[in-house]
Amino acid sequence: MLYREAGQFKTNYVADQAIFPIRQDRIGMAIVLLFAWVIIPAFGTDYFLEIIMINFLFFSLAAIGLNILTGYTGLISLGTGGFMAVGAVASYKLAVIFPDLNIILVFLLSGLIAAAVGIVFGLPSLRIKGFYLAVATLAAQFFLDWLFLRFDWFTNSSTAIEGVPKTLFGFLVTGPDASPFAKYYVALGFVTVFALIAKNLVRSAIGRAWMAIRDMDIAAEIIGIRPLPTKLLAFAISAFYSGVAGSLMLFLFYDSAEPDLFDINLSFKVLFMVIIGGLGSILGSFMGAAFIVMIPILLTLAPDLLGLPISSDLAKHLEFMIFGALIIFFLIVEPNGLARLWQITKEKLRLWPFPY
Amino acid sequence: MTAATLERSAPPAQSEAPTPNARRNFSEELLKVEDISLSFGGVKALTNISFDIRKHEIRAIIGPNGAGKSSMLNVINGFYHPQVGTITYKGQARSQMRPHEAAKTGIARTFQNIALFKGMSTLDNIMTGRLLKMRRNFLWQALYWGPALKEELEHREKVEAIIDFLEIQAIRKTPVGRLPYGLQKRVELGRALAMDPELLLLDEPMAGMNVEEKEDMCRFILDVNDEFGTTIALIEHDMGVVMDISDRVVVLDYGRLLADGTPDEVRANQQVIDAYLGVSHD
Repeated sequence: MLYREAGQFKTNYVADQAIFPIRQDRIGMAIVLLFAWVIIPAFGTDYFLEIIMINFLFFSLAAIGLNILTGYTGLISLGTGGFMAVGAVASYKLAVIFPDLNIILVFLLSGLIAAAVGIVFGLPSLRIKGFYLAVATLAAQFFLDWLFLRFDWFTNSSTAIEGVPKTLFGFLVTGPDASPFAKYYVALGFVTVFALIAKNLVRSAIGRAWMAIRDMDIAAEIIGIRPLPTKLLAFAISAFYSGVAGSLMLFLFYDSAEPDLFDINLSFKVLFMVIIGGLGSILGSFMGAAFIVMIPILLTLAPDLLGLPISSDLAKHLEFMIFGALIIFFLIVEPNGLARLWQITKEKLRLWPFPY
Repeated sequence: MTAATLERSAPPAQSEAPTPNARRNFSEELLKVEDISLSFGGVKALTNISFDIRKHEIRAIIGPNGAGKSSMLNVINGFYHPQVGTITYKGQARSQMRPHEAAKTGIARTFQNIALFKGMSTLDNIMTGRLLKMRRNFLWQALYWGPALKEELEHREKVEAIIDFLEIQAIRKTPVGRLPYGLQKRVELGRALAMDPELLLLDEPMAGMNVEEKEDMCRFILDVNDEFGTTIALIEHDMGVVMDISDRVVVLDYGRLLADGTPDEVRANQQVIDAYLGVSHD
């Protein structure tokens, strides 16, 4: 009875094209935003804000980026870690070279630099598809890894890149001394704005062009979609999101990181988020990120909460096993990801308590 | 399929003689192919094909399987590049053209095996057909506001007109992968129509349909031709349909042009009877 759209009539196309056409969805979104912007910062502990929420937020941004490329445009990429590294290194260099540059501009410019790199590594996508493209993007990952380790200009001759302390509106928002509270709001601001932009992109003409390329590239071409610019734009925007996520990861979470943090494992992690969350869904990106970030943390905390005296080694191994089993379980139950599961739930709710 | 169900609504001047194949007068050439030869390695798909398509007519291309009909459509909309021959479209000769350029000049098509975007809704599929007409760049689209929203709504209105025309209002928001075959064909026609084409290429629009679905599809094709003035070239195997709705027919066999003329001429042509139509034994 709760989720029923009966009686909600659209009398113009503006209402029908709205981002959340169904009233219950709008209310749900308002509640989520209220939680994110007011309740969590008001009641969350530093540990919760930093280790769980900020971690979740920058991974969501990276997952949205990869979802645009893999879920919406159908181009499998294993280069996300590399593009995040470009973002992180670029923001570090920019913050050091231009000390007066606003931190928001630093993040955005790093994203643009990552986008340029993404375009270069997206060029092979015109000719190759599927698994072969995944291998080609793997080249991007390894090349960028190697580049940042080999040339110490990128790390200013040290072994690590650092989150330079910066202020925004008089508050210290980055670096080791910034409060988790301030960092959380910066991360949340970026994720809110860019999630909205991503949602707008995928429901307008460019999003339809991406999906057309994904679903049937020959037909897309005959309609007049030019494959190369369309795919490259997807690569650029995806790399932009990854780059910003990489900057946030360095400046708001790790504070100091060696470039090899952004290795192939990171690429896989983001790819798993997208697959488990749901390909071709912005909501799914959040769900996937939440799943991959939060489940291990919960599993680590579980023995203590349950009062089970098990050794930390055993706990760690159990965590891996349960986590792996959960991934397999979800992929068997719903190969299209958590977002699809949520959609099915909503369809069931519309009919509840009647069977049909 | 009876002739009566498909009777062409003849133009007013000829209305006193509403025979199924009432000939209309077409003079202006829209597209002309001359001496087209296309081969894939040693396989000759098309050999010295020449014919024309005149403005506002319904032109059928028929022939046995493997005769080169689909290849011919692929040549016309730039998907295949013939080794020899020229194509003159709207008075401009060309030899090479990319598919998206063909789309820009007003050539739309549907496919023999449905080529819809399966993950998208009916509405989105047809909206994709409007893509070339949308001018706002992705930065505006990212805002989904102001000019971008206005443009989106303008095109939505055009698309809704097509949805009304094809009578598919009920499946507007349904992902096309879930639709039955006949409706998918209809959505594909809608997507082609959304391009406001001058020349519409239909590759077996009625394949695999039952009689009612065929009647519907014929009605849509004739209406498109009449109301929007769209020139139509179609490939079809149902001879009843072809003879009823087309103005002129081209017959291909083994990549060669076998005959070209009105349905009556083609039906009487001995070569066509031997190669394709056969004779009835009753």
